[in-house]
Amino acid sequence: MELTKNITLGVYLPGETYIHNLDPRTKIIAAAILITLLLFIKSYLAYAIFLFLIIAILVIATIPPGYAFSGLKPMLPILVLMWLFQLFLYSTPDAEVIVSWWIFSATDAGLHMGNLISMRVLFLFTVTTILTLTTSIVSLTDGLESLLNPLKKIGLPSQELVMTMIIALRFVLILAEELDKIIKAQMARGVAFDRGNFIQKTKSLFPVFLPLFINAFKRAEELIVAMEARSYTGGKGRTKMKTLHMGRVDLFAGLFILLFSALIIYVILIVPPVI
Amino acid sequence: MNPLIEVVDLSYSYRAGSGNEVAALKKVNMKVFEGEILAITGRNGSGKSTLARHFNCLLTPVSGSVDIDGLSVSDKTNVASIRRQVGMVFQNPDNQLVSSIVEEDIAFGPENLGLPAEEIRERVNWTLKTLNLKNLQYESLNQLSEGQKQLVAIAGVLAMKPRCIVLDEPTAHLDPRSRREVISNALKLNRDEGITIVLLTHFMEEVTRCDRMLVMDMGEIKMEGTPKEVFDDEEKILSLGLDFPVSAKLADGLRKKGISIPRKTIHAEELITSLCQLK
Repeated sequence: MELTKNITLGVYLPGETYIHNLDPRTKIIAAAILITLLLFIKSYLAYAIFLFLIIAILVIATIPPGYAFSGLKPMLPILVLMWLFQLFLYSTPDAEVIVSWWIFSATDAGLHMGNLISMRVLFLFTVTTILTLTTSIVSLTDGLESLLNPLKKIGLPSQELVMTMIIALRFVLILAEELDKIIKAQMARGVAFDRGNFIQKTKSLFPVFLPLFINAFKRAEELIVAMEARSYTGGKGRTKMKTLHMGRVDLFAGLFILLFSALIIYVILIVPPVI
Repeated sequence: MNPLIEVVDLSYSYRAGSGNEVAALKKVNMKVFEGEILAITGRNGSGKSTLARHFNCLLTPVSGSVDIDGLSVSDKTNVASIRRQVGMVFQNPDNQLVSSIVEEDIAFGPENLGLPAEEIRERVNWTLKTLNLKNLQYESLNQLSEGQKQLVAIAGVLAMKPRCIVLDEPTAHLDPRSRREVISNALKLNRDEGITIVLLTHFMEEVTRCDRMLVMDMGEIKMEGTPKEVFDDEEKILSLGLDFPVSAKLADGLRKKGISIPRKTIHAEELITSLCQLK
């Protein structure tokens, strides 16, 4: 059970392209806009236009397509299942049956619905992947902190939230390593993780998670003391070493995303939805 | 020399007032002088960590007083300025580093002080240079060795430009080589930057490199003096559960064999010199 190997958090692909060098806030907002647009797209034409944008971004950011979609593999079975569900179960009164087998029948409405939903998931995945591939975790959290800052006025502890995220990111790997150690230690004492039925297997997880949780709390306590010793008293009065700057590229990217949104909204309004 | 830290009649108990309290410190009196390197040693549970945590306002005295350059740690309004003056490094580097990137973590302390961005950047660069960590600046902390992580932890404290750094068993988790590196760096900070160092340790080799040492047991200070003076009282050292530096043991063994090595030999260099002077 080598757990640590399978954890690829923040799959950042370092680079010096226009996309990489954009302010993280620009990228986060752009991704949010694109995701919102995706929720309203109901025509193949709009998806085709969207595909052009995605390809353009991948080319500019010099991300190998294979790399961009490699994270999709574990999702593929679910995606196919979803497509099949829509195909056979979704129908409208005036739909034409295309295939019929036993008690199942697939209609053209189901086919379109399956296509649209699968494409929506695919594009959502691609947009977020591009964001994390071109933005390091650190600048992502910096961007997020800066974007959440205005919400401090309505009582949201934005700095503390982001600090929690930063610490969580740091401890993911440490805890994964610890889990690995505990599993090996318990195996050495004769806990059999791979034997027995479902209930027995679940029970054998207790001697793993109990020490893990206890250790996590101990670590948290030590970390609090260390942070306090380094003058941490919450977000108040804290400054940042790195201040974010929006440049001309960000303005250009923002304008481009706005134009693109206008185009997509136009297409959504003009082209009748496929179903 | 004037005392930077002055402890008078300090007592502390865990779970004070709950009926089953544990006395960790009993009427401790001690001083830390500006610019010195002080070692505090003693077996586990002797109270050295409890004592050290008062220097940084992590604990406040149950009775007695602790003053940092005249500021009492019992007064809540002094906490911020005391923590600027006395920094603390703990045993496990993994549990004291906050950010995932080296330079970001070093910036954490100065950021808490509310300094302007340029000043933080300047301090981070200065710290990286002082501790020779420039090549690790953008490294992810998960990629570093334990020794390197502990150096980053020291860097994080150094960036706050304290007058005194308290190191609470900083080398307990490290292999011998990183242990030496961490200690040499701490000593270098004392020599080059004039920072007062308080080192809590179980390793007698590290103790011999300090100016002065305290031995604690059962919440009290049992011995105090230069390492040469303290290690001279063999019986007491053994009764307090401590050991001797390797050079001292070797010198002692040679003396018993009739080879004339002067007493109070605790450093390897001294031993080598006296051995070379033998006929």
